[in-house]
Amino acid sequence: MAFVPVLHSELIKIRTLRSLVTTLGAMVVVTAAFSALASLDAGEEGFDPLFAAFFGFNFGQLAAIAFGTVAVSSELRDGSLRGALTAVPDRGRWFAAKAVAIAGPCLAAGLLTGVVSLFVGRAVLGADARTLSWTEGARGVVGCGVYFTLMALLAAGITALLRSGVATLSILIPFLLIVSFVVGDLSSGVADLLPDRAGQIVFHETWDGFLGPWTGLAVTALWAAAALGAGAWRVRGRDA
Amino acid sequence: MTSIEVRALTKEYGSHRAVDDLTFRVLPGRVTGFLGPNGAGKSTTMRLVLGLDRPTSGTATIGGSAYAALDEPLRHVGALLDAQAAHGSRTARDHLRALAASNRIPVRRVDEVLEESGLTSVASRRVRTYSLGMRQRLGIAAALLGDPAVVLLDEPSNGLDPEGIVWIRAVLRRLAKEGRTVLVSSHLMNETASFADHLVVLGRGRLLADTPLREFIHARVRPGVRIRTTDPAALHRALSEHGHEAVAHEDGHWTVPDARVEDIGRLASAAGVPILELAAEEATLEQAYFDLTATETEFAAHHQEA
Repeated sequence: MAFVPVLHSELIKIRTLRSLVTTLGAMVVVTAAFSALASLDAGEEGFDPLFAAFFGFNFGQLAAIAFGTVAVSSELRDGSLRGALTAVPDRGRWFAAKAVAIAGPCLAAGLLTGVVSLFVGRAVLGADARTLSWTEGARGVVGCGVYFTLMALLAAGITALLRSGVATLSILIPFLLIVSFVVGDLSSGVADLLPDRAGQIVFHETWDGFLGPWTGLAVTALWAAAALGAGAWRVRGRDA
Repeated sequence: MTSIEVRALTKEYGSHRAVDDLTFRVLPGRVTGFLGPNGAGKSTTMRLVLGLDRPTSGTATIGGSAYAALDEPLRHVGALLDAQAAHGSRTARDHLRALAASNRIPVRRVDEVLEESGLTSVASRRVRTYSLGMRQRLGIAAALLGDPAVVLLDEPSNGLDPEGIVWIRAVLRRLAKEGRTVLVSSHLMNETASFADHLVVLGRGRLLADTPLREFIHARVRPGVRIRTTDPAALHRALSEHGHEAVAHEDGHWTVPDARVEDIGRLASAAGVPILELAAEEATLEQAYFDLTATETEFAAHHQEA
């Protein structure tokens, strides 16, 4: 079977589920809103205007994760997976198309989120934004698109692996809100290799670990690839 | 030709054998009824044919190749497995459009099958708002989307209203007449008898019968005659003189097993017995099926003792 028709089908599935479209909208609005709030409270010593302008990613990433999770879990209810695999019996190809169909819209929404956050953040920061160069701003925008996409793919892979959206969200959300936060504060080093912390370096003007903005995103990409690989293995290996 | 071929198919879940060394063929141009009680392995067999479950041993092929090897399978095989397969938040048209796109089926077919299954007026409503019967119609529409030569339907009359049942019967007959291969599972005997030409009967995962419907019934149950009279004594005398054993029923009618109306009518008339009603009593699939399963259960019991 050709890949493009399968991808087309998966894109139709995403476009026609209102909850998925709403989630991407929420990603833009929530990120921009919290970035604006963070930018209001700016100007102290060691202040990072880039991080302030993109601060809302902390909340926007939850939307990205929900998007990736629901895009896969909507196929796992009742007989849905059987229906999907009857149409596309090549399971590896089906799951690859699913991943691309998640990545595409999520990247577009993530880049839009980045642009909106940057402009809202600069406007609110006013004079505090003077150290924020356009190159750094562009890095933040691209980073926002890529980071959200990778987090959505990570969630998609875990959902396929666990065959449950609820299980995925109840692992990932506490992980992002609590575990990574606490562990990250206690020690830098190994904690920098966690999927979220590595990818978030791109939102900082300066960094002092061994990872930079792009190598950090590469680490997150490895996590996402591993999750997708495990998910694909589970989709291929079992009775549907 | 595109027939379904199942050879020595076995599927085990843990220590439970859901399908046990099954071999049969489903040929084009007729409706094959797939019968058996719940848990006999009908749905499992269908999933194995569709490549959704992996067999423990044996093969299931369609037109000589495994389902997973078919390019754009919906153009060759249409299946209804589960009426709940469509996501409740999608509209029926969007559900079918996504399916059509994956197999490069023109969008025109979406509207055609919606029309055919009487869903055009509700096509842009979310599936969540559908009754079970409407979901069943949507599942059948999805099965017919790619104009397939082979159609597998698992319990298609489930939840259908009387009108829907008449409709599905006509659809099945038409598909067979067009030369397609049609396999329809059911546990409803009279329903199956109304559309099937051929039967494949399963019991506990094993093949119990693979014969034409008529043959299946007539080999097990002989037709009888139903008769009603104002003079039971005279009727009884006349029948016993000719060696017929009549059985009286509470509401006043009699049945003469293993007899034909031609003989009984002539006999009663010659004896001057007044007749109120005389009719051939057709054997039903239900009777034949229970006869078959009764002998099977007996066989199993003996087998266990030995």
